[in-house]
Amino acid sequence: MKELLYKELKLATHPTTYLFLFLGTMLLIPSYPYYVAFIYTLLGIFFIFLTGRENKDILYTVSLPVRKRDVVKSRCLLVALIEIAQIICSIPFAIIGVRINPNPMGNPVGIEANAAFFGLVLIMFALFNAIFLPMFYKSPTKVGTPLIAGSIAVTLYIVAAEVAVQAIGLLKTSLDTTNPAMLPRQLPVLVAGMIIFTLGLWLTYRRSAQNFEKVDL
Amino acid sequence: MEILSVQHLNKKYEKFALKDVSFTLEKGYIMGFIGRNGAGKTTTIKSILNLVHPDSGQISVLGMDFAAQEFACKQKIGLVLGGVNYYPQKKLKTITEVTRRFYSEWDEAAYQGYLKRFDLDPDKKVSQLSDGMRVKYSLALALSHNAQLLILDEPTSGLDPVSRDDLLELFQEIIENSERSILFSTQITSDLEKCADFITYIKNGQIIASTDKEDLVNSYTIVKGPNDALSEAFTNKLIGIKKNAFGFTALLKTADRPAPDGVVVAPADLESIMIHIEKE
Repeated sequence: MKELLYKELKLATHPTTYLFLFLGTMLLIPSYPYYVAFIYTLLGIFFIFLTGRENKDILYTVSLPVRKRDVVKSRCLLVALIEIAQIICSIPFAIIGVRINPNPMGNPVGIEANAAFFGLVLIMFALFNAIFLPMFYKSPTKVGTPLIAGSIAVTLYIVAAEVAVQAIGLLKTSLDTTNPAMLPRQLPVLVAGMIIFTLGLWLTYRRSAQNFEKVDL
Repeated sequence: MEILSVQHLNKKYEKFALKDVSFTLEKGYIMGFIGRNGAGKTTTIKSILNLVHPDSGQISVLGMDFAAQEFACKQKIGLVLGGVNYYPQKKLKTITEVTRRFYSEWDEAAYQGYLKRFDLDPDKKVSQLSDGMRVKYSLALALSHNAQLLILDEPTSGLDPVSRDDLLELFQEIIENSERSILFSTQITSDLEKCADFITYIKNGQIIASTDKEDLVNSYTIVKGPNDALSEAFTNKLIGIKKNAFGFTALLKTADRPAPDGVVVAPADLESIMIHIEKE
């Protein structure tokens, strides 16, 4: 598996992936729909699959002494690695953002970049992975359709999450704030996000590997 | 010892099927795998490697069952699907750096030797290589991980005659006094005249011959003659008759000789065998 991950990083990872890691800086923008920064991450992941297809990545990989399901596993791990890296790179900017743009009334256009927000982003990633990856591995020549399906799901999810935070009073006061006093209410969302992300990744991998196993290359 | 054995391979698609494909390849030989475009060469090769899932059939490599020991089998196989055409914008050294990690028997000294011998510059990108150089790079990779079975899908197509000849000589050198064997598919029959020991011929998904090259060539003769020599009994014995105003040309099984008077009999070559059989 480490050879395959090395291959993913050395050959398959598109340079924009690294560039997009810096988009955590968008968390410095005051009163902004912060999910946007993480949509770029998904775009970067899409680029890896798109360039992978153009570079005949799958044909190269399966000609190596590897099992088909390991091809899927290494790619799922790469995707998760990028998503986690994006979150880790964004945390400092979320902290700095609060210091330079204190927003006592909360974020008028969405949720503040706090612990709960990162949990909700993890759920967004899990949702995207669960749709994009199994669909791609069902017919690995098509990368556009899974992107459209994944994007629709993610958009609906973001709209629902943002509207809920703004419209439901309890959520507005406990989640749309950077007040440390609300941290105990936000942390469960973060933990839930971590659990959903991890569990989702495992299920996504299993489903994707099953789909890929059936594909005639 | 059998290095590759393919037994009763079947795979059904909507408009095409591999039917009971069986052949074996011994150590130390080159087998040419011929057939028209779409006859099932690539599908057979991909089925051997489980890239395509056959509906039934057994594959074994060096006596190991492929399905059960896929990982061990793949360590011993060098697969070249028409030259390196993956990651064209990457440098050779980057691709090698990634690829070599997958093989327990990677021999760096041998690899460096092949680079020198094939005149490959590791700092070049794949896209900067000619088709012939790409095949050579693939071979360098395959030979450096001590692959015993080289499976090459159309390695010579797209190459100029000099590069092709060069490559065919290399094939012979690779198997000489060694434990290696080569299975290569091609539609260029003259390549096989030069270097193959065995021929496996596939037509519409079925193997119609898998035998020693000399035996195959000797089992047919080319007959030419005036059209009035085509009696009904003789016509029934002929394969792929081509007629024009001046007469006919056809293939005749050597066993079905003699031909009637006035018909010229000449030795067949692979190309004429293929052309007439495909005409049937």
